[in-house]
Amino acid sequence: MRTDVAEADRRFEVRRAARGWSRAGAIDEKTKATIDAAYPDDRSRLGPVFRVLVFGFAFMAVNSFFGTFVAILASELKGAAAVVVLMFGGALILATEFMVGSMKRRQGGLEAATAVLGLGYFLGGLLWLIAQVGSGGNEEAFINLALGLFVVLVGAAAYRWGYWFFAAAAAVALFILLARLPLGRLSWMVIPLILAPVLLRASESVKVPPAHRHSAAALLVVSLVFLYLAVHLGSWDERIVEWLRGGTPNRSSSLALRPFFVAATALLPVVILVVGVVRRHRFLINLGLVAILASIVTLRFYVHVAPLWVALLAGGFVAVAVALGVSRYLDAGDDKERHGLTAEPLFDDDDKRSALEVAASIASSTPAARSLGTGEPGFQGGGGRSGGAGATERI
Amino acid sequence: MNPDVALAVERLGDDGVLSAGQRRHLGRIARGELVSIRPELRLLLYGGVLAIMGGVGILVRENLERIGPVTIAISLWTAAILALAWALRKAQPFTWGRSAPGHVGVDYILLLGVLLTGAALAYVEVQFTPLGALWTHHLLFMSLFAGALALRCDSRMVFGLALTTFAAWRGVAVSPLERTFWSGPNDEAAIRASALLTGALFVLLAVAFFKLGRKAHFAPVASHLGWLLVLFALASGVVLRDPAGTMFSLVLLVVGGGLLAWAFYDGAFSLFAMGVIAAYVGLSALVVRVVPAEIFGFYWFTMSGAGVLVALLVGNRMMRNRGHED
Repeated sequence: MRTDVAEADRRFEVRRAARGWSRAGAIDEKTKATIDAAYPDDRSRLGPVFRVLVFGFAFMAVNSFFGTFVAILASELKGAAAVVVLMFGGALILATEFMVGSMKRRQGGLEAATAVLGLGYFLGGLLWLIAQVGSGGNEEAFINLALGLFVVLVGAAAYRWGYWFFAAAAAVALFILLARLPLGRLSWMVIPLILAPVLLRASESVKVPPAHRHSAAALLVVSLVFLYLAVHLGSWDERIVEWLRGGTPNRSSSLALRPFFVAATALLPVVILVVGVVRRHRFLINLGLVAILASIVTLRFYVHVAPLWVALLAGGFVAVAVALGVSRYLDAGDDKERHGLTAEPLFDDDDKRSALEVAASIASSTPAARSLGTGEPGFQGGGGRSGGAGATERI
Repeated sequence: MNPDVALAVERLGDDGVLSAGQRRHLGRIARGELVSIRPELRLLLYGGVLAIMGGVGILVRENLERIGPVTIAISLWTAAILALAWALRKAQPFTWGRSAPGHVGVDYILLLGVLLTGAALAYVEVQFTPLGALWTHHLLFMSLFAGALALRCDSRMVFGLALTTFAAWRGVAVSPLERTFWSGPNDEAAIRASALLTGALFVLLAVAFFKLGRKAHFAPVASHLGWLLVLFALASGVVLRDPAGTMFSLVLLVVGGGLLAWAFYDGAFSLFAMGVIAAYVGLSALVVRVVPAEIFGFYWFTMSGAGVLVALLVGNRMMRNRGHED
């Protein structure tokens, strides 16, 4: 990663924090202006709305440009199509490098679009060329090669430009590649266990640039998800990791190792949650909560302890009770905090959070529309269509 | 934690930019010594509410014969009243402005109470039909009930639910919109007209909130939902055969253009984005109708996409120069 980009990102982190402090009233406008002056940002950045718009239109315009080019020169390109795709991808990668470097663009949508498309075209063209050269070769080896190239190219792009989603995508491809090699499941267990402490430290190290810290956090989450998948009872019973390698998985050792997978499915989410709480890492807390939910669903799948409605009601009440209990416990502490945790809002953007919550509640709880043409009650025992403020079969 | 911010806080403290108190408090947060888990608690509450309502739905459906309608109705009403009473007791005192952050559970227990009330009302209605021919208005009642509670407890989430329940009463399912408009029902035109009117009403409601200065922070919920309904209703007509399709494309272009111009002036970034997309869809639909050749389509989307990109970059700079922050 370029040092000027890393330095600009560090300054931007401070400016963004100051914006949050100012919004929450922790500092006044004069102090914020002083901080902004002390940490100038020389990059051309866009806010989230414009960034998404620019990304979308750039994505469309670049693809349409390539479509125009291909449509006009289709007859001329016959043998060299793969080379053209490869060169187009290379040009987009160079354009990204130019925008991030000389044009000092960062978080602008445009360079992210050219980066995504550049890698896509370049990788596609490269694989197309390889397929043409080695036509009739081993399909499994080709898939492994494609995954390997994806890991190297996208991983290098993540390192160079600092996009965390590239790091996450490269990590996912790496784990799929590992599953296709001998001892795939074991590598899904061992590698995350080795990487997790390193990535956790990197995600909060001042020596690591902010973009790479975010990438380290993304890699940590992906690694832990694959670790959970590796030790998950359902994944073991169905041989999901071995299935990725192709062929018919061997199930002979299924029963002997089952107790280990049962215990691991139950314990790993709790361990992640506890580490998250102790280290005060919110993404680990979130991951732990999601994994606990997945393990509860797994338990319900294997052991029908109660009817579904009992499980849902009990689970729902437990979740609400835990949330209210934790909130009460934290509120009762000095300054409404205990062990460095609080239920009070600190410097979150309340409007953005609220917008997400409103969208989620609308998506999940809106009642089905009344039919404009009928006049009969709509609440049906077998899954009614209406009910009011969310009393539908979709809840 | 954020080590860059932690270092900056120390430096700003040394330079006298931050007071000792600010340095201590902000430094603790930047070093990760104090972390808010409020979003995680809210997520847990939200998941709990959804699970409870899912369980209630299955319970009523599968045990109707065994438990009996009266027991079910009494249970639903009791649970709803308990949830609403708890939320009202814990909510901050009423204000026409924005309430101070209160108990983390208020929004979600209020949501649970409203959802349980909706379920109880619908159940009683079907089993005992107390409303008779007026049954279709139960969604309107629920919408007003939820709206009143949302205002009392300052809950934008429940206010959003009140608006979408109102839209459902008008025959429009806001979630997911496409199911309403593109599933091909016979009363498509009636639904479209209803969506346009409902959307316009929501936008007017947003204007009223804002102009009157009463619960002005609810205005974005109403305006976004309103414009979403209006634009989706118009966009659903673009695919119709001519001349209706051309007319809808033209209206979408004009309305989208108007929205983006107003949002640009007002600094409303998300509405600006909706306006840009709507106007572009309307314009592209018109152009593709006039020149249907495939090669021209590629050419059009290349040139127009590039043009919109330039306009967006210039527009963003102009909005920032006017003091608006995205």
